Amino acid sequence: MKQHLGRQSGVQNVEVSLLDGKAQVTPKDDGQIDPVQLLKATYDSGVTAAEMDMTARGKIVKDSSGSFALQVEPNRSFALTPNELSKGLEALADTETMVTVRGQLYKKAAGKKKADPSVPLKLLILEVSKKE
Amino acid sequence: MSSKKMALLALLVSIVSPISQAQIKHIEMRVEGMT
Repeated sequence: MKQHLGRQSGVQNVEVSLLDGKAQVTPKDDGQIDPVQLLKATYDSGVTAAEMDMTARGKIVKDSSGSFALQVEPNRSFALTPNELSKGLEALADTETMVTVRGQLYKKAAGKKKADPSVPLKLLILEVSKKE
Repeated sequence: MSSKKMALLALLVSIVSPISQAQIKHIEMRVEGMT
């Protein structure tokens, strides 16, 4: 699994803990990492991803449908699952304010073994650590 | 470098830098079936 994840583009380091069943992925400095590819690589290595959390820095943007998203790269953003924390960030939409958040990108649905790659990952914000 | 070019460079940096500083910093996964 460590090798599978380490081969993905944008990955600098992978730490796997057998004891607590967790994998920590550190992106390269450019941050060009694709969580969907990491999920796929995890399945390819023969294990099931139960949950994926991400810490990211970016801007809050509002798309044409009125939904809010965290933009982490010019061409990559994650739609926000509405909750109290995301509501608190809505006022920052389309401003230059950068926020650092920790959130859940994926959680395995009960009874499912594999994530559906056609379903875009949504970010459920668990913690807002910085606004600048 | 002329002051005009310097001003243009400063403007470009101010436009580009907020996005270039945006990035995924860390990912943690909980996995099942690992041996």
